[in-house]
Amino acid sequence: MPELGRAALVVCFGLALYAVGAGFWGAHTRRRRLALSAQNALVAAFLSAAVAAGVLLVALITSDFSFTYVSAFTSRELPLTYKITALWGGQEGSLLLWLLVLTGYGAAAVLLDRKAGRELIAWVVPVLGVVAAFFSMLVVFVASPFATHAAPADGLGLNTSLQSPYMQAHPPLLYLGYVGLTVPFAFAMGALLSGRTDERWIVATRRWTLAAWMFLGIGQLLGAKWAYEEVGWGGYYAWDPVENAALMPWLAATAFLHSVMVQEKKGMLKVWNMLLVILAFSLSLFGTFLTRSGVLSSIHSFTEGSIGPWFLGFICFVVAGSLALLFRRLPLLRSKTKLESLVSREATFLYNNLLLVALCLTILWGVTFPILSEAVRGESVTVGRPYYDFFLRSFGLPLLLLMGIGPLVAWRRASLRSLGRTFLWPFAFGLVAGGGLVAAGAGSSLPGLIAYTFAAFVTATIVLEFARGTAARRALAGEPVPRAFASLVARNRRRYGGYVVHAAIVLLAIGVAGSSAYDTSHTARLAKGQSLKVRDYTLVYRDLRRTRAQNAVETRATIDVYRGGDRIAVMHPGKNNYPVEQQISNEVAIRSDWLTGEDLFLITEQVNPNGTIDFKAIINPLVNLIWLAGVVFLLGSVVTLWPDAREERRLAVRYGRLAPET
Amino acid sequence: MLAVFLLYSSIAGGGTPSLRPSSLAGHTGKVSLTGYVLKPVTGDAHGAGLHFRLRDVKGTATVPVVYTGSVPDLFRPGRDIVVEGRFQNGVFVAVPGTMVTKCPSKYTPKKT
Repeated sequence: MPELGRAALVVCFGLALYAVGAGFWGAHTRRRRLALSAQNALVAAFLSAAVAAGVLLVALITSDFSFTYVSAFTSRELPLTYKITALWGGQEGSLLLWLLVLTGYGAAAVLLDRKAGRELIAWVVPVLGVVAAFFSMLVVFVASPFATHAAPADGLGLNTSLQSPYMQAHPPLLYLGYVGLTVPFAFAMGALLSGRTDERWIVATRRWTLAAWMFLGIGQLLGAKWAYEEVGWGGYYAWDPVENAALMPWLAATAFLHSVMVQEKKGMLKVWNMLLVILAFSLSLFGTFLTRSGVLSSIHSFTEGSIGPWFLGFICFVVAGSLALLFRRLPLLRSKTKLESLVSREATFLYNNLLLVALCLTILWGVTFPILSEAVRGESVTVGRPYYDFFLRSFGLPLLLLMGIGPLVAWRRASLRSLGRTFLWPFAFGLVAGGGLVAAGAGSSLPGLIAYTFAAFVTATIVLEFARGTAARRALAGEPVPRAFASLVARNRRRYGGYVVHAAIVLLAIGVAGSSAYDTSHTARLAKGQSLKVRDYTLVYRDLRRTRAQNAVETRATIDVYRGGDRIAVMHPGKNNYPVEQQISNEVAIRSDWLTGEDLFLITEQVNPNGTIDFKAIINPLVNLIWLAGVVFLLGSVVTLWPDAREERRLAVRYGRLAPET
Repeated sequence: MLAVFLLYSSIAGGGTPSLRPSSLAGHTGKVSLTGYVLKPVTGDAHGAGLHFRLRDVKGTATVPVVYTGSVPDLFRPGRDIVVEGRFQNGVFVAVPGTMVTKCPSKYTPKKT
């Protein structure tokens, strides 16, 4: 069996190389048949990667410990679902998954987007081939998932903290996101190579970018949720290099999704969009590199592997190559139009882009600072939470405000009078909300107060947009309100889906501001019967129990939670001791108040020999809005992604030659 | 935006140096220390403090450490940790609650 896997990967590598060679030559000499065969090679590469993944999957499920990989990441008694998800539990499997997703995306994109024009696709294929060749080279020569050894009696098992449903979904979603950014990158490079630098590559890849961006966003939120429940320090994001590694390409892709609208509508920002897509793709490679190379100290340091230098080399190649190509094609990328006014839709998109990119680059600077300072000063210096928090506030809060303004400002130029009319009510609502919050005591944190006021303003603009649209539709078509609302959204999926995503970001901002600016935490050593007061909660430590579970000794405290004289909950924070893995893990207890979105978060920091326990109690206000934001984000993204026949027709008319060639 | 960045850098300085036990001498400000935890670990992290020595991950220099606050699950002799604090009179006094454990070995078992 391992031979089949290895052979499939070698075939995949060969096909990818063929796609590169035949693709470039075919596109260059305009030989259609050669270009088509390169395209088919890409599809075949996907099939052989699928065969390889299938072999590994079968080995994992059947616990074939002669595979080094299988014995390193699973054991006999591991539940089946975790045996399957161990496919991305280690480096070699992760790289194989990368390759599989990459070739899958590539094959689907060239097959589905044929209408983008034969010449463009012909140049996209070899670019995809280069990336696929790199990853298949890694799994063939550097980190083979099909290494074998004398089969041990049992495997080493999966890290206990990774045995969580969130961890099953989080890595593949991130990969779908990271890898998905290859498609717009390849189309952008294809556009530059072919000299067809109009908007086609953007139109063709809009949904691919959106999907990748959606997966990346959801993947990160699941990771945050996992950290919150499983790692148990009371937070969900720690500005860890590996977390930042996923955030950076997401920010770059967010900027890209916005600025392409300006290019579609006004033919501006062509060079900027190219730069953004290069940035997003390079950052997604950089993210994989960070996760997989162990260059930076991080709780995620999976490995100090041998693939680091390869990745670094490839990133340099991608950045240098794509920038050189962009430079050569600069004359083709001149804008036909200019920015007419600083108060216009284009201008707000530009501000939004600058802020997003600035945030992205400051994070990049923070992440790479230890390496840079080591190189320059000979001493590695890390920047911590204050650095990132500062920039999140300085760039994030204006972004939040722009989210309310941008969508309502007219294209080209907006008059002050129309601005006043549009924003009078939302502005008033924001002010009133801000005043109310100060009265309610939210003034204890200025950034928090600003975030809430801005959030109220943006919410008002979004609600008003939906209300105006529905009213107009009702007047026009005479439909009842729910029907008018539905057809409004169905007729403008991009616009209203976008608003829903904005609403999700507002929820996220409220949740993040609430839980980081207004949290309360308290620690105390309690003996049985003693109590601890945290804000309006009283916690009474009643009892401590030890039970033997299948693979762990579970220690659980019993805590009665009182509020206003009533016992509202009994919580059981504790610790698990895994003798086989020689690992202790904190099992936190969380009580969510669904009415207020607030969490009471209990950690048993230390169980003392005399039966006393050191407890930490944290109150995280509004933190549940973050998870709700994830659901709304998904909803909005799906609305935007949904196939739209009307839009297709519009595009077909606009790019007459875009119609499928037969 | 560049202005905001420069403003921050000039006010807040450049962050925390990451050091090894062997490079600690002469640093009086807040630093982050990476090292390998040696036996024995004594004391109480929620009382007078947890006492242990950290050694260079690759090397022999060691330094005594006093730590209070949350102790990560994976902390134990033989692990690599990162902790922030100040080097005072030959002892590294950690900032409460800053300990982070690194555990590469759990993800990729050492090849034998």
